[in-house]
Amino acid sequence: MKPPLLRDVQVWTVGAITGAEADADEEAVARFVTPGPRLTAAERFDIYRSGYHARLVECLLDDYPVLAAMLDRQHEGQFSALCRAYVDRHPSASPNLNGFGRHMASFCREAKLEGFPGFLALGHFASDLAALEWALVEVLHAETAPPLDIAALQALPPEAWAGARFIRSDALRLFRFEYPVNAVFIANRIEEIVPDFPAPSRNAVAVYRKDMQLWRMDLTPAMVGVLEPLVAGKSLGEALETVEAECADPDVLAQTGANLMVWFREWVDAGFFTRIVLS
Amino acid sequence: MNRFSLPNLGIGLGLRTVHYAHILEHAPAVDWFEILSENYMQTKGRPLHFLDRVAERYPIAMHGVSLSIGGTDPLDRAYLAELKALRDRTKALWVSDHLCWTGVAGKNTHDLLPLPYTEESLRNIVSRVKQVQDILGAPLALENPSTYIEYAGNTMKEWDFLAALASEADCALLLDVNNVYVSAYNHGWDAKDYFAAIPFDRVVQLHVSGHTNHGTHIIDTHIGPVIDPVWELLGEAYRATGASILLEWDAEIPSFEETHADALRAKEFITPKEPT
Repeated sequence: MKPPLLRDVQVWTVGAITGAEADADEEAVARFVTPGPRLTAAERFDIYRSGYHARLVECLLDDYPVLAAMLDRQHEGQFSALCRAYVDRHPSASPNLNGFGRHMASFCREAKLEGFPGFLALGHFASDLAALEWALVEVLHAETAPPLDIAALQALPPEAWAGARFIRSDALRLFRFEYPVNAVFIANRIEEIVPDFPAPSRNAVAVYRKDMQLWRMDLTPAMVGVLEPLVAGKSLGEALETVEAECADPDVLAQTGANLMVWFREWVDAGFFTRIVLS
Repeated sequence: MNRFSLPNLGIGLGLRTVHYAHILEHAPAVDWFEILSENYMQTKGRPLHFLDRVAERYPIAMHGVSLSIGGTDPLDRAYLAELKALRDRTKALWVSDHLCWTGVAGKNTHDLLPLPYTEESLRNIVSRVKQVQDILGAPLALENPSTYIEYAGNTMKEWDFLAALASEADCALLLDVNNVYVSAYNHGWDAKDYFAAIPFDRVVQLHVSGHTNHGTHIIDTHIGPVIDPVWELLGEAYRATGASILLEWDAEIPSFEETHADALRAKEFITPKEPT
């Protein structure tokens, strides 16, 4: 008998591995696969079916260890359920798994997990935490460029500051979060405890890489007010105008004026910028 | 010596992130390292920084899991370009991947799926290996996989398929003796039949590793020390090929010293046996 076409075998195999259980029932499997010395054809094939989800869930666990700990703290198995839903919604199309988990933050806001109705109430918290953890992955893989030398900052004449554009490092991400997820991250990864789910509390965090180490920096509202327009490509003068236009809090404005030079030294030391462009 | 004149590098280890700090700090006396190609692709950051430090000190070979050389989707040209760039960067002595496919119609399972061993499948993979070798400008070494199923439509045995592929595509082979052991157990083969068909002059590298035996079947987990029957196969393969040896340990990875000590057990098995 003529063997089935290679393409047909491959399409069936992937469909039966990644699809619904019905696609891999015993009769269907027996048409394509032989039994082994100790296992039926379906039992043999199930090694690939179970391995598919297990492998991708493990990949997501590597990227989201704190999210996993928090979700499983509420209900054991909740993180795996989230990942299995994610795998079905965002199957991998790439030969490389480095970017596989990139949709998790947005997925957390939309996911409805069968058997875990409580997840809906956690969606925004989970999304913030996933965004923080994914930023660490992105920053790890970001291009390595020499950081701006503090001497270049010190050499900048006062009249040049307003027109200066500070070119951001690829290994920097800024976030405004609804939940204090950096505190949750610290508790879990540094203090090795799984804290209670926090109440909403607006905050900002920078995620960056310095000397090949990954770091997170809490930012005050005044700091993030200046940094956001800067990393978006605005000059320092334009960034300060944005802060003045958008900020109604006189304390924030006062902090900005008083601390700007100190912040810049800290940001340059952390490698937030790679060079200065003068206009 | 193999027909590609690729050197015997000695006994090497798979480079794993948990060992980076030890390797860079202590520069241990390891003959060579094998890298997992995809760990250093789609990245411009820290993984490459560490790889560059290691590649300055040690010979490197590249081992991939995503070429999908037996697939029926078009070859991924972007992946191949990146693979070649990585080879140029590390000056890897050879590039290997698996006799397998990983997905179809754009969906990737990230598993090393067994091929149907048919004439059509052979024609497909021979053509693709030739294209890949052309792009890389070097022989590609293909590894025999651990498999858990065989297709009902198979018209030849895996070892005959592999031998025909190597000859027709003029490619190199990476003989994984643990995979021979695992697949032989899972399918009721005899490892002797496998070895009898292998063109040993095309084998440029040998893999050895631990596995997990579930009684009804064995999974190629790369966990734990290598068992003696697998070491015995390694000894036999080494005496036939004189190829570079590499220990893979991919989960529950112990300290560098313990991993390296297990790799060096190869010496007990590769020396010619004294007549009794």
